[in-house]
Amino acid sequence: MKITQTPSDTTLTLVLDGELDASSSVLLDTELSNPTVLQYQKVLIDCQRLNYISSAGLGVFISHLQRFQDAGVKLVFFNMQEKVHNVFEILGLDSLMTIVPSQTEAAAL
Amino acid sequence: MQQFLRIIKQAALPLAIGSWLLLLFMMLMRTGGIPKIATLPNWALLVAQGVFAGAVFLYRRYQPDPLRGTDFVGLLRRLVLGPGLLATICVALHLVQRLTSAQPSNPAFFTIVYALNLGLFIVFLAYTCYTWRALVLFRAPYLVHKQWGWFELILGITLLLRLLNINVPTMLAGIVVGGVAAFGVYLSTHQRWVAYLNRRQKFVVISLQLGLLASLGIFCLYFLRIQFDPLLVAPAPQHAFLLLTVFFAAFYALMGILVTLFNLPTAGVFEQKREEMLNMQRMTQDIQRGQTEEQVYQTLLDAAVQTLGADAAWLRIDDSPDYSGQLYNLEMHQAEAVRGLLDSYSLSEIDYLNNDLGSSGGFQQLALPYNSLLMMPLRSQKQQHGALFLFREQRQGFERDNLSILQTFVSQTMLSVENLQLTQAAIQNERYKEELKLASSVQDSLIPKTLPTDNWFEISSHAQAAREVGGDFYDFLHLPGRRLAILIGDVSGKGVTAAFHMAQMKGIFHALMQENPLAKDDKDRFPLPSKFMAMANRALVHCLESSSFITASLYIVDYENGGFVFARAGHCHTLYYHSLKEEVSYFRSTGLGLGIIRTDGYEKHIKNQFYDYNPGDVMVIYTDGIVEARDGNKEEYGEDRLLAMLEKTYYLEADQIKQAILDDLNAFSYGQPIHDDQTLLVIKFKTAQPGSSA
Repeated sequence: MKITQTPSDTTLTLVLDGELDASSSVLLDTELSNPTVLQYQKVLIDCQRLNYISSAGLGVFISHLQRFQDAGVKLVFFNMQEKVHNVFEILGLDSLMTIVPSQTEAAAL
Repeated sequence: MQQFLRIIKQAALPLAIGSWLLLLFMMLMRTGGIPKIATLPNWALLVAQGVFAGAVFLYRRYQPDPLRGTDFVGLLRRLVLGPGLLATICVALHLVQRLTSAQPSNPAFFTIVYALNLGLFIVFLAYTCYTWRALVLFRAPYLVHKQWGWFELILGITLLLRLLNINVPTMLAGIVVGGVAAFGVYLSTHQRWVAYLNRRQKFVVISLQLGLLASLGIFCLYFLRIQFDPLLVAPAPQHAFLLLTVFFAAFYALMGILVTLFNLPTAGVFEQKREEMLNMQRMTQDIQRGQTEEQVYQTLLDAAVQTLGADAAWLRIDDSPDYSGQLYNLEMHQAEAVRGLLDSYSLSEIDYLNNDLGSSGGFQQLALPYNSLLMMPLRSQKQQHGALFLFREQRQGFERDNLSILQTFVSQTMLSVENLQLTQAAIQNERYKEELKLASSVQDSLIPKTLPTDNWFEISSHAQAAREVGGDFYDFLHLPGRRLAILIGDVSGKGVTAAFHMAQMKGIFHALMQENPLAKDDKDRFPLPSKFMAMANRALVHCLESSSFITASLYIVDYENGGFVFARAGHCHTLYYHSLKEEVSYFRSTGLGLGIIRTDGYEKHIKNQFYDYNPGDVMVIYTDGIVEARDGNKEEYGEDRLLAMLEKTYYLEADQIKQAILDDLNAFSYGQPIHDDQTLLVIKFKTAQPGSSA
């Protein structure tokens, strides 16, 4: 799992590369727990190269969801692969989180 | 040969005594002490003398080895105090008598004393030579054993020389005798035994060998004095043989004394090393006996103080919960001051030796009553456990050598401590395993063992946890009015935490599916699945950690009305075979997992779905461990394969369908570890037999 941060003025883009399993979700949790993350208006997650997400990985997003909402930070996923999207959908997260097809749409939100 | 040797062994003593008596008899006859029977030729006396010497040596040779173990002092003492003392006293008496009385003695008496002394001298020489043999051959290589054999043989030949009266030229005789003497000198270099003596024993040995040399000297003096005595009636004994044995006996003793003398200065070092080795041995044994870290550390302190002669010491242990160390002749504040000083010099991590504390600035101010300090960190490969400080009052109290001794002690100790820790960790591990086993069996009891049976459906189930305990669960509950509640779920994560939440979920299930006695309508007596999920969500919010969630599906099957209602809270889609349409598909309803939304408003995210089933319909419910099982290429089993399997098997019995799916799954993921809990339930609806309803 590789996580790349691309910050801009108002937006933080995290590119997830690889499999988000129990061990790599710790890395993600560390990134998202950073207080500076809440200074952005939007946090975009690029899921193009996210091949797999385990329940631990989902748990990381779930645990930060409320925190982001309270701070007024939008959490947006884009470029999500079909099978990963399926996992979000089955769990019902698609109704809670913003998942859009492309980066332009994500940026436009 | 064996026979011959045995005869010689047995005959040696009587032969020696007999030949000596014969010799005495013949000599007395010559002096006229007893009536003369015949004129005796010289050779008769010489033969008797030779036989006597040979028999005594042979007798001595076949006595058991006089050396017992490494008791060299005992060996020499027996030699000097036994035959040596006896013979010496005898000769000395004679000398004293000769010196005090100027009168020529009675020839007969003189002859008896001479014969007696000659016998004793030869006995004494035999004892000495064979004692030396024991020392020469002590832990000697085989070659030396052989050389000794040749030496004996040559000495035996010299015994015959005079007997045969061969007239050898003086030059040649000198060379031969000189050669044998050189051989004796060579054998005298074998003084290996001296190394096994301690300082005190070396002094004793030197005095014993001096005593022995004195005895030899007295004998020689005696024989030299009487050599030209007119009273001497016997021919001079076998010169070469006696000369050589005397020479060898004396030279070996002399060499022994010299070697021992030269060894004396190093005896102290040798003993110290020996003491260290013994200490090391003792310590190794003690350490192995140590049951706790504290005992092991105390042994280290004792051994270090004792071996290095420290006047004060401090053993500091940093990482043991029950033992912080020990002080010996030292106050805590002094110890801490020394430690602080070393820390400030950044010396606390390395071995430190200071033999002149009084003249090093920092230590001077501490005003310790000690002048030498040796500090060694207790370090293992992994970490530093503490440090050992040793103090001595005198300057130059510790040597560089001491460091290596101490290092040996310390590494020995660290090894033992780590072994102890490993053992304790292993015990602890074992305990965890036991508890996990217990947890596993407790969890096992939470999973229904007997499946509900009725004539309108059949159920088959399979559950496999990835670890000892898992987060998958399923349960059944019969409700009044021929209804059956089926719950399946999966707690995020694995292991013990998941298992706790799974148990919680089971409790919630049984608590919420109770009949509501206040309900007016029959429908409201039990909560609908969506209501159940909402209530469960509320209950779980308080006990799930923020990154955990639970997915679940609750089905309530109503046989009387031939339908079922279910709600899916983020759980895997239900696979279904519709017998009327002859079609397999997933129920794709929406629904959010439990514990994700922690505020009110969950109900918006969960829906009930109603369906009227027909006999022959098959429902497959499962957890994600089934569809997310992977093959060697990391590909997932997936919903499509599962669907295809049901298309192939829907007409079979529930049990057979389940088995077919599992077989296919196992073939797919063959060789891969199960990385998530797997649960699979297959329910097949049947036409109820008329009149056999429950």
